[in-house]
Amino acid sequence: MKAVGARLPRYDGLGHVTGRTAYVDDVRVAGMLWTKALRSPHHFAAVRSVDTRKAEELAGVHAAVTHADVPKNLYGHLEALGVPADEPLLADGEVRYKGQPIAAVAAEDEATALAALDLIEVEYEEREPFFDVRKAFDPDAPRIHPWGPVYPHFGPHDHRRIRKGDVAAAFDRADLVVQGVYRPTAIEHCPVEPQTGLAVPEVHGRLTIYSCTQAMYFSMGVVAAHLEWPLNKLKFVGGTVGGGFGGKVDTATETICALLAIKSQRPVKWRWTREEEFLASSTRAPWHMEIADAVTSDGWIIGRRMLTLHDAGAYTRFSSYGLTKHSFHHTGAYTIPNLDFNGYVVYTNRVPTTAMRGFGVTSISFATEMQMNRIAKVLDLDPWEVRLKNANRVGDTSANWVALSDPSTVPVVQAAAKRVGVELKPEFRLMTKDRRSGDLLPDHLVEQLVSTDGGES
Amino acid sequence: MIKAPKGGKVVVKLTVNGIARDVESSPLTSLLHILREEVGLTSPKAGCQQGGCGACTVLVDGEPRRSCVLAVGGIDGSAVTTVEGLAPDGLLSPIQAAFYERYASQCGFCTPGFVVAGHALLARNPEPSREEILGALAGHMCRCTGYVKIVDAVEAAARGEVGEERVFPESRPEEPEVLVPGSPA
Amino acid sequence: MTTMAHEAEVLVPLSREEAIEAFGDGREVTVFAGGTILMPEIALGRLRPRRALLLAHAGLGDIRRSGGTFSIGAAVSVARIAEEAPEPLAALARHVGDYEIRGQATIGGNLCAPAGPSSPRGDLQAALLALGARVHSAGAGGERVDPVDDFLAAGGEGRLVLEVVVEEPVRASAQALARPHTHAYTALAVACAETAAGLRIAVAGAGPRARRCPSVEQAVANGASAADAAARVLDDVELQDDALASGWYRGKMLPLLVDRALASLSAGGDR
Repeated sequence: MKAVGARLPRYDGLGHVTGRTAYVDDVRVAGMLWTKALRSPHHFAAVRSVDTRKAEELAGVHAAVTHADVPKNLYGHLEALGVPADEPLLADGEVRYKGQPIAAVAAEDEATALAALDLIEVEYEEREPFFDVRKAFDPDAPRIHPWGPVYPHFGPHDHRRIRKGDVAAAFDRADLVVQGVYRPTAIEHCPVEPQTGLAVPEVHGRLTIYSCTQAMYFSMGVVAAHLEWPLNKLKFVGGTVGGGFGGKVDTATETICALLAIKSQRPVKWRWTREEEFLASSTRAPWHMEIADAVTSDGWIIGRRMLTLHDAGAYTRFSSYGLTKHSFHHTGAYTIPNLDFNGYVVYTNRVPTTAMRGFGVTSISFATEMQMNRIAKVLDLDPWEVRLKNANRVGDTSANWVALSDPSTVPVVQAAAKRVGVELKPEFRLMTKDRRSGDLLPDHLVEQLVSTDGGES
Repeated sequence: MIKAPKGGKVVVKLTVNGIARDVESSPLTSLLHILREEVGLTSPKAGCQQGGCGACTVLVDGEPRRSCVLAVGGIDGSAVTTVEGLAPDGLLSPIQAAFYERYASQCGFCTPGFVVAGHALLARNPEPSREEILGALAGHMCRCTGYVKIVDAVEAAARGEVGEERVFPESRPEEPEVLVPGSPA
Repeated sequence: MTTMAHEAEVLVPLSREEAIEAFGDGREVTVFAGGTILMPEIALGRLRPRRALLLAHAGLGDIRRSGGTFSIGAAVSVARIAEEAPEPLAALARHVGDYEIRGQATIGGNLCAPAGPSSPRGDLQAALLALGARVHSAGAGGERVDPVDDFLAAGGEGRLVLEVVVEEPVRASAQALARPHTHAYTALAVACAETAAGLRIAVAGAGPRARRCPSVEQAVANGASAADAAARVLDDVELQDDALASGWYRGKMLPLLVDRALASLSAGGDR
């Protein structure tokens, strides 16, 4: 272990500064074709027909694919975890977000591929799109997903539930209730490398796929599932990803390249434009969070009621997983013993949302921190002290009863205060993350503590 | 008058990294496409193809330019330099060495553009202020590093505070053993 | 069937005369100077020129100065404008793109830029209006000189810009909204110049092309304060929402920019 503690240069640093690092777009294969996709211009529409014949006849075009060419068109990113499939690789009968791919062509060059798109005939019937998650439960809200307005497969429920302690009693006891609504909006990953994939047909019918995915084995499984191929027919070559941040787990190009490569028997590359990135690539979700905290006048948060509406966009992808993580963390870095959390994955006609840096948790971190400031302001207390008082400590349990063995809230808040030149009162400066006792263990926090006899992990 | 008929090509004379090349192309094709697909230099990247991100930046007659929006017919006779041309004898240029030593690169996709722009800055302004560095690099986008280490690296290169790094380093006995040398890509 | 989507005939004139001859009456000719506006449109397949005219080698890249008169070739880069042209042209040029884009973009391209799909373009037009520039162009009917106001009003169709001629002003100032990033076009820019012909004020970003602000000019001529004159600017513009800014925001900021530009002018102008 000679490397531990040593200052090592990045092993790929020389490649980066000399331009030698190879990304998918830099792989050179003879006879490669370029791909362009026809994308829905409408937020929500029925697709009555798709005809690619004229596009296929254009000189220089080697293949075109629609949903009819996909052995298993409908897929769910979490199928391996038991979540049913809801998303078509290529649109079949309807489009649910602007930018959704309907067909793709492979041609000798990008210009020809673009010209081919103009020759694809599609009949749309526009429908009224739905964008406001707050209206999901209105009786007249348009139904855009066959499963209904929200994802229905959280066990027997149509929402993720966290129940802990006795929230009604907490709200009865409270000196004050502090409420806030927090609505962070969508964020684009915007990696400098756009989504890029290259599929190369090999002898014996195998495919080599050069992929910018962050999750190679996962993407390999997605492609195999769509093609209904055994995994050993695929060879995935990953490597340096030009920025992913969570957005390159969606297997955005590989399957369509594979289908075009199979049909044309030529290597096929698809490199998204920056416009496609902004229009059609998945984003971090917009969130709508409503928090009501039962607080005492001396700054204890004794109960939290929370409603989260997570905007999944048109399809589920990983949203149920993201919301579940969010629910586990909905008290932030603080210990709140009485909880009633309901979170919904809401379908809208936005582009489907996905993971991005701290999937599901950045939203609640933001909301909780804003809420802590609000509580401090309403109670006329110091916001640092409110945080330190309610901070996670050893032996506390999280919202979903995970025993906390080494929570860092206290030292981090203290370090932050020091960094910005805030002088904490001695009582707060001397706090530690040790197991609660004395003044730091009021009655309402006793029940949530993990037991001392062998309860800690 | 140079004329390329419908869909036709002309010969464009370029010197790329010191090597004279006759490129056959429509004059309207971008320099980026020519470099990547005809000449085979893949360091300039297609990050946006709108001139907005700087990943395609190369030197044209010594000046940094966005190759993705530069029609090759307009630079007939010019000298083009890419990152591959900055270390011709295997010794990294100061700007490359600085980026390498100071971790100014994470995914690396924006790095060739930044290195070329930084190199050009130091050629025209050997002692830039931090403000001037920011101004010169303002059009380049990095989504990974947060830019601080990039600016630090340019400052270090300007001050000459860089080691002598080679493109293919010899291993030194006191260095920890690296199990998988080189890029896996 | 064709194999190439953009089957352009491409002409690269090697002199001013060849450029004029190649342009002809301009029908179905797309002129490329720096390429910063048009090349992205080609990459996305939205622009498929029939005949493309590349001006890089046509000898239109000079700035000739005679006393206070500047004759600026259409292919002069925005970078050189920022260094060598009189105010307020230089100020607005410094506000375009970044170092690399300025080295490539041209005054001709900026003058002829139509509004973009989601943002205004051509903010140098405001400075040219403020300076009362004269546009030398070629096209149907031969070469002619137009005041830039008329050139912009006609939309520049069918004209090949050869030079733009401006007089150094007595005083000038410019104000523009800060851009979030160098790849963004300028949402709103104001240019003022005092020449022998009087005071001229123009705004870019409040309409498809830059325009004069006669209400403000009139108010100033009538002795109004900078703030009162500035308030009149809303009579001269049609404000729109786009990707850069809402019409509402522009409506709030424009009088402020005009006020500051006028105040700066009174204090001696930008240097």
